Amino acid sequence: MAVNSLAAYNTYGGPKSIPFVPYADNGGSVVAIAGDDYVLVASDTRLSSGFSIYTREQSKLFRLSDTTVLGCSGCWCDTLTLARILEARLQMYLHEHNKPMSTPAVAQMLCTMLYYKRFFPYYVSNVLAGLDEEGKGCVYSYDPIGYCQQTKFKASGSSGALLQPLLDNQIGYQNMENVTPEPICMEKAMAILKDTFISAAERDIYTGDSIFINIITKDGIQEEKFTLRRD
Amino acid sequence: MFLTRSEYDRGVNTFSPEGRLFQVEYAIEAIKLGSTAIGICTSEGVVLAVEKRITSPLMEPTTIEKIVEVDKHIGCAVSGLMADSRTMIDRARIECQNHWFVYNERMSVESVAQAVSNLAIQFGDSDDDGGAMSRPFGVAILFAGCDEKGPQLFHMDPSGTFVQVDAKAIGSGSEGAQQSLQEAYHKSMTLKEALIAVLTILKQVMEEKLSSTNVEVMTMTPGQLFHMFSKDEVEEVIKDIA
Amino acid sequence: MASVVSGSLCIPARLWQNGPSASCLFNLSDGLADQNTYFAQRSQAPITTGTSVLGITFEGGVAIAADILGSYGSLARFRNCPRIMHVNDNIILGAGGDYADYQYLKDVIEQKILEEECLDDGFSIKPKALHCWLTRVMYNRRSKFDPFWNNFIVGGLQDDEPFLGTVDKLGTAYVDRHIATGYGAYMALPLMREEVERNPIMTKDAAQKLLVKCLEVLYYRDSRSFPKVKLIFDCLMSLQSLLSTCSFSFSPYCQLFYLFLISATI
Repeated sequence: MAVNSLAAYNTYGGPKSIPFVPYADNGGSVVAIAGDDYVLVASDTRLSSGFSIYTREQSKLFRLSDTTVLGCSGCWCDTLTLARILEARLQMYLHEHNKPMSTPAVAQMLCTMLYYKRFFPYYVSNVLAGLDEEGKGCVYSYDPIGYCQQTKFKASGSSGALLQPLLDNQIGYQNMENVTPEPICMEKAMAILKDTFISAAERDIYTGDSIFINIITKDGIQEEKFTLRRD
Repeated sequence: MFLTRSEYDRGVNTFSPEGRLFQVEYAIEAIKLGSTAIGICTSEGVVLAVEKRITSPLMEPTTIEKIVEVDKHIGCAVSGLMADSRTMIDRARIECQNHWFVYNERMSVESVAQAVSNLAIQFGDSDDDGGAMSRPFGVAILFAGCDEKGPQLFHMDPSGTFVQVDAKAIGSGSEGAQQSLQEAYHKSMTLKEALIAVLTILKQVMEEKLSSTNVEVMTMTPGQLFHMFSKDEVEEVIKDIA
Repeated sequence: MASVVSGSLCIPARLWQNGPSASCLFNLSDGLADQNTYFAQRSQAPITTGTSVLGITFEGGVAIAADILGSYGSLARFRNCPRIMHVNDNIILGAGGDYADYQYLKDVIEQKILEEECLDDGFSIKPKALHCWLTRVMYNRRSKFDPFWNNFIVGGLQDDEPFLGTVDKLGTAYVDRHIATGYGAYMALPLMREEVERNPIMTKDAAQKLLVKCLEVLYYRDSRSFPKVKLIFDCLMSLQSLLSTCSFSFSPYCQLFYLFLISATI
């Protein structure tokens, strides 16, 4: 029976109907941390499926404007499509309204775009990071069908559940005694960010290889790369 | 101007040999039959005032609505065929709400004008393109609004052309009023001054005597946004100019 | 095209193991045939399939390799099914998975190229553009629940830089220096990664050697592979197109029966 349950050894000749599954889980993690005048967003660069690594050099960050970056993880084909449609919508907005779209506007638009595909969703966990109209860092996180919440920090993707409690503690000062919560400086945020990915790569096979970090400030977006373990 | 009848004034899609679209020009003429509406844009806010023609004492003056709210931050004054204006105001309101729904932000005044302009030029006599109207809309609109660029006033005519203006008059008394506006307007005008100027000019061009029943007044300020003057408030202002 | 399933029929005996069931291939006359007029037809599984495709970039070019077997379930049915095509002067395309879907898309692409040639403006589609187009085609079909059951590898030169990208039946697309699909992803890719890590600037000869080595390893273990392969190079060095058949002999136990035939198009 055990052998028969393996597809490759199945000797029973009945109808074999594996329905086509339009989704894949290609893994990947995204972490974003917002400060008062900056926001950091990073993704790992491993694209995988099951036990095989497709590529080790696939950034999952999409630069939508000078102040907005989207991080995606989940089904890569949906990610590619969603990011392209978003890019097109931002361009159309620019032409229609003669101004670049603000991060809160992108956040709301992404929310409606995801919900419009409620019954055949984009299987993507999105984290949108950027500066708002006042230049303050903001992070929006989503579920695949359009639930949106604004936060100060977020970890999502295959290691989301692993990393979020760490961020809650280190940045949100949760479950800590005798500390006064204070806004986090960029150096500390960067250190925590790298640490979260290092720990994720230890435990999660879908996260690893390296990370791409985007640092968004009023002066523009800087990119940084950081290597992780590759096994 | 239109003394000689032309063979080219039937179809809305037919240019005359001089390169004119007569039906559109006639529509612009139709505005001149409408009641006067005046708007002034100052750095403090925008003022709109319109004349209400009470043609019969048996009419209920409050049912004539020539200044309407499009969104909290945008108001409109219209002149011309009122029925046509309803369609356009409706479009403006839908566009504003859709913009809020999708982007969670106020639509800019220029974008609203653009959206309504898109509707205004969708006239044509073909059946297949699903045009909104078979003829141009006989309406001119003043859009008063406050967005991230501050208080703004836009004027749109039946051809769908829209321009940003500091002060503009539309309707039957527009020619005289526009002249007076040019004299009265200056860059450092306060809202109060603009309010008095608008009503003074309106008074000059109106056939009937200016009263709180036959004018509508609205202000659009960054703080209060759309504010329609009540009868008492109108009387308060009229008192000063009379 | 791939099999069309109109309902599930229980066939007690199988003609061969792991192959498509007969009900996948025919509409038996029990009224089910009529249903097809009411229900949309979609392919549920690939039928005649090709196994792994390998692609690699090297100094000034790319190479794609695949064998020429068309498998019918576990039956090595068609032994001359080349799955790599010359799209235009600077693009090559390799396909794994359903052979009929590949042939259909090949026709579409050839038509595109033909229309482009007819314009005679000197412009031709570039590898990145074809890769992106293919991604959209694959994604649109998967969104209709009617996918093309293929894995594609697109290779070529764009702005004198080698380009190698892949798309699968969902529209999952990425670009890398070395790509392998199917069983190749498990068996050949580690070899390729190892070699590229050791020797990042690879010559054309080294690339060819590596690909042949990978094909050999695949032939040992992938039961759906075949010792006749097609290997196409697209590189800067030479534009002339020559078709040669060379013989490679390797390890003693397969040498007995087969020779690797490589038709190399430069």
